[in-house]
Amino acid sequence: MAYISVPSIWRELPEKYRLAVFKCKSCGALNFPRRRICVGCRKPSEFEEQKASGRGKVYSYTVVAAGATASEHAEEGRVGGPFPVAIVELEEGIRVMGQVTDCDPSAVKIGMNVESVFRKIYEQDGIIRYGYKFRPVEMTSGRQ
Amino acid sequence: MGVGILGYGVYIPKYRIKAEEYTRAWGYFAAPGVSEKSVPRHDEDAVTMAVEASRNAMKRAGIEPAQLNAVYMGSSSSPYGEKLVSSTIATAIGVPKDVCVSDFGASAKAGTAALLSCIDLVGSARGKYGLAVGSDCPVGRPGDDIEHALGAGAAAYIIGSESLVANFEGAHSFGAENWGGRIRRDGIRFVEDPGIARLREIEYEQSLASAAGGLMRKINLKPENFSHAVLQQPDARFPLRAARVLGLTEGQISTGLVAPGLGDTGTSSPLIGLAAVLDKARPRERLLVVSYGSGAGSDALAFGIEQGIEDSRTKAPLVDDYLMDKQYVDYLTYLRWRRVLTRDREAS
Repeated sequence: MAYISVPSIWRELPEKYRLAVFKCKSCGALNFPRRRICVGCRKPSEFEEQKASGRGKVYSYTVVAAGATASEHAEEGRVGGPFPVAIVELEEGIRVMGQVTDCDPSAVKIGMNVESVFRKIYEQDGIIRYGYKFRPVEMTSGRQ
Repeated sequence: MGVGILGYGVYIPKYRIKAEEYTRAWGYFAAPGVSEKSVPRHDEDAVTMAVEASRNAMKRAGIEPAQLNAVYMGSSSSPYGEKLVSSTIATAIGVPKDVCVSDFGASAKAGTAALLSCIDLVGSARGKYGLAVGSDCPVGRPGDDIEHALGAGAAAYIIGSESLVANFEGAHSFGAENWGGRIRRDGIRFVEDPGIARLREIEYEQSLASAAGGLMRKINLKPENFSHAVLQQPDARFPLRAARVLGLTEGQISTGLVAPGLGDTGTSSPLIGLAAVLDKARPRERLLVVSYGSGAGSDALAFGIEQGIEDSRTKAPLVDDYLMDKQYVDYLTYLRWRRVLTRDREAS
């Protein structure tokens, strides 16, 4: 028995797989994830998908102990140890939350430059849940 | 109308393990010519590596995801036994849903198989643009010699018919029953060596020589007409031997020889080698690429470098950028990240 919300599978893929942001057609505010009521004008609106740059700065972060994760993350925690989760302020001015990868948890700092990457988040019911994470830009200077 | 490469991109994981780590654990290291190899982090697999390589290729190609008519993925280590992952890659790079997605697998030749199919699609005008990516991170049992060389990486190519950085000049293939190379049994995640070492060498050399020799006869060229040649790299010694059989010099294969720092990157091996050559080649040079998959088969492809290559290079990271940005892990971390040391049911 798989505990998956069927509508949410498709609805969330653009945000999770390519960090898509949604521009309100009436006031221009960016929404992430997409909503029915715009965060800018607070009214029902139409939205246009936009490609986020994926670049931003760590606004705040915490480190999740490997044993303290939600059950679906337990296996990744067992294999990889404690992992940092950050709120990242993107260049576009919006804040999104995601794990920081390719980086020792103790090396994460507020203000550090990060960029989004596509990684495995966890596996459940035989389905691999992919999504965005962030990695330090300092460590990947040659990688743009 | 020409067909060829419009953009290319690679991805190599940040982590490496040194040959010395194996020597410390086992007393020896069984991958000739390999001094260190790439290690995928525990949150990476053939799909995640393919996505970053594909995004880099799209930066160089300068087209929109909506213009792609095909997304082809070649991997011997797809995370699924059955389920498309070319579709995962298509969604991750933002390709609309009216796209032909196909997964190629079952051998290290699947990368050039995907590339050739993409070239055929565009060459036959059934599609205008296509993406072909080879991405692999094969796993072996610790203690098996064949495991020592196994690395990880990905390389992606956008195929089109104009504004090319490399023009496709022809292909020739070899395929015949053989038992010498590596196998992976049904339902098992570990590759293994049937243990007929001499047969493995003969199979590899004959496959490459037949495909490359046939191609040269077909397009009326000699080994010395190629500025660079990229051969499949199960380790760093196999391609050196094959080069001699093919009448190629070490100088011709050195630019595309990536196994010394990466190990055996499977389906991406000839495609990362090709990218390393594209990073350095000059207009009007001619390239030869020859893959090998156990069982056995080889695809040989010839390309001519176009003027646009130099502008294209600066738009995405080079193979060298990825090679230099690295951090070492020890053998235990490697085993844990590869899920070889695990309580998971997968370990069977």
